Amino acid sequence: MTPFLQATDLRKRYGHATALNGVNLAIERGELFGLVGPNGAGKTTLLSILGGLIHADSGEVVIDGQPFHRSDRNARRRIGLGTQDLAVYPELTSRENLLFFGRLYELDTLTLKGRIDDLLTAVGLSDRADDRVGGYSGGMKRRLNLAVAVVHEPDLLFLDEPTTGVDPQSRHLIFELVRKLRADGTTIIYTSHYMEEVQALCPRIAIIDAGVVKACDTREKLLKLLPATLTLEGVPAAEPFRSVPGVTTASVESDLVVLTADAIAPLLPRVAEVCRANQFTPTGMTVSEPTLERVFLHLTGHGMRDS
Amino acid sequence: MTPLLTIAGKDLRLLLRDPRSAVILLVMPVVLILVLGLSLGEGFGRKPDDRIRISIVNTDAGLPPDAGAFPTKPWSAIVLDDLADTADIRIELIGSKAQAEALVRSGARSAVIVFEPEFSSRVHRCSFVEEPFKKDPINPLYRDGMDTRKLGVTILRDPTQQVSSAVIEQVVQVTLMRVVIPWMIGQAFEMIGTDEFMARMDKYIPGLALMPEAFRKTLGTGIQKGIGGFFRNYQFTAKTWAGLTNSTPSMKRDANLTAYESDGRGVIKRGAIRYQILVPSYTVTFAFFLVLTVGWLFVAERRHGTIVRLRAAPLRRWQILLGKMLPCLAISLFQGVFLLVAGKLVFGMAWGPMPWLLIPVILCTSLAAVGLSMLVAAVAKSETQVAVYGTLLVLVLAGVSGSLMPRDLMPEEMRSLSQITPHAWALDAYSQLLANPDPQVTIVLRACAALLGFAVVFLLIAWWRLRLD
Repeated sequence: MTPFLQATDLRKRYGHATALNGVNLAIERGELFGLVGPNGAGKTTLLSILGGLIHADSGEVVIDGQPFHRSDRNARRRIGLGTQDLAVYPELTSRENLLFFGRLYELDTLTLKGRIDDLLTAVGLSDRADDRVGGYSGGMKRRLNLAVAVVHEPDLLFLDEPTTGVDPQSRHLIFELVRKLRADGTTIIYTSHYMEEVQALCPRIAIIDAGVVKACDTREKLLKLLPATLTLEGVPAAEPFRSVPGVTTASVESDLVVLTADAIAPLLPRVAEVCRANQFTPTGMTVSEPTLERVFLHLTGHGMRDS
Repeated sequence: MTPLLTIAGKDLRLLLRDPRSAVILLVMPVVLILVLGLSLGEGFGRKPDDRIRISIVNTDAGLPPDAGAFPTKPWSAIVLDDLADTADIRIELIGSKAQAEALVRSGARSAVIVFEPEFSSRVHRCSFVEEPFKKDPINPLYRDGMDTRKLGVTILRDPTQQVSSAVIEQVVQVTLMRVVIPWMIGQAFEMIGTDEFMARMDKYIPGLALMPEAFRKTLGTGIQKGIGGFFRNYQFTAKTWAGLTNSTPSMKRDANLTAYESDGRGVIKRGAIRYQILVPSYTVTFAFFLVLTVGWLFVAERRHGTIVRLRAAPLRRWQILLGKMLPCLAISLFQGVFLLVAGKLVFGMAWGPMPWLLIPVILCTSLAAVGLSMLVAAVAKSETQVAVYGTLLVLVLAGVSGSLMPRDLMPEEMRSLSQITPHAWALDAYSQLLANPDPQVTIVLRACAALLGFAVVFLLIAWWRLRLD
């Protein structure tokens, strides 16, 4: 099946700095695709190229089987851009903002007004719809920023760090709207440096670092790149655990016994049995499942906030 | 609604909600005009004039029906001609005696000369001789010169300006003498040798009455010619000063005769002539303060990040730029109309004999201002840059163009140089329409064409320079 959005060998430099160094992506129609990477990894540049804001130095973008160029206004009608920085008029009300941006896409007023009411409800701004945005909290502005990006019902939505600096309530409303959009068939590319957020939302994820896609796969497969670990305190030796079925490795690190396995839960009764048999009395036990952040660390050799 | 109009409508709304724009574009010029209007004197905008101003109210009813062949016009007109012909004098005609009294009372005039309705008939009765040679004669001469009360001349004086009023009175005394004395001498000399004269001479020359009638006439004519012969430098029958003294009449000095221009009414001097200069000057100056409003509009679009959304939307570059330009033009047009209407309603300014021509001048000035504003928006990247570049540019252009001072007072070279600014062309057009009683339409149209030229050049450069990313 032809991907809805395909990026092939995208490259972009700003002076001597390389922002993208041969990025390839293929995203299916209706997919909620996560793009994770630290600040400066090239996420915003990639979205800017895919959204038609800037030119790539080389490479190609194909949307719905058609090569995409910045000058293609019909293709741009199908794209929604949830910008990293807020992009709304503080002197206008949220209703006026939505009306303005909807009209830029030449939607008829009646349809637009209905759509605006629905969106204001979805992002929890109905009560403040006619207040100027300048008086809103940061979370409310973020929610409006998302609503503005989708007011014209785009087929393809780019969300660049949509939850930066928001409160839990706003984060929840944003997630709800994103899930609803996906359910309605919108293809969404969701970027964030909050790994847990992407891990929770996106079934398929690409990890980007220094302008290169380090990995791109389903969430489960990415997480399987790293084993789960069970750490035991107060246990003198690792040797008895090496023969336990399911244990991949067993070693002693800083007076702790560290066991690795694909899954920890089935391992626990067997580990307890080995302790009893060897008269080991563990004083503590820590289970660590693989996370996207650990996968990122594993793939790039540095943490998210080291860049 | 097309995207272009959508952008225009949104920007118009933003401008209307920005109190800075209203203050800079509408309130500040009105306040400045008001402050300057109150603080500047009535001589503002006029070249310095060191000549003595003689203020006159002329209510003269004219010559009596039986005046005869001389003079051919009322005596007041002859007096005014004499004053106008006098060097270093300028005459100001005031419409009514009540207005003159108010001016003297307020100290605005030290003295005003009033020709009363009977002035011509009284001067016409002035004579050295008495009846029967002159019916009901008046002798206006007395120790200090001419008795103005006998001539039907009233002098309104401000008691606090005695020196100044005395100078004016002396000027008028001299003029009255130059007019009335030759008239009296001429009449008297014409009488010599007439039958009545010879009949009166009978009692002084014994036997004269016995002379034949023809001899008496010859003798009378001879006496007149004889006396004239003794004074060859004078023409006693001329009845005018130039004729009497055999001198060449001076050239008529029309420029010396002007109508009184009111210094306005009420506290703010509504209708004062200086508003004809102040209002257009500050209308033009503040039209170009639009650079701040437009600059801030563009900077705000970048600062709020909304320019990204505009670029992402299915819009062409020209739609975005034109959409932003149209409301600025609308604001500028409103500002121009607002200030001229305020000029009329608040300051009592006159719109001149061709007010409809103000419309193209406002339009062309606004287009030039919008062009310059787009240029500044293309260069400035932050609010501070807009404020610094914009204010500096506007003030320098206003200074060079003469918007901050009357252009008439600028040196010739500076006036020529000022034509490099759109302000100067706009001011020339306004000057024609608001200050010239007979506006030269060609000058107005040429100024409009120049302003359009500025607008096109500014917009082309702005179009080339403006970056939306």
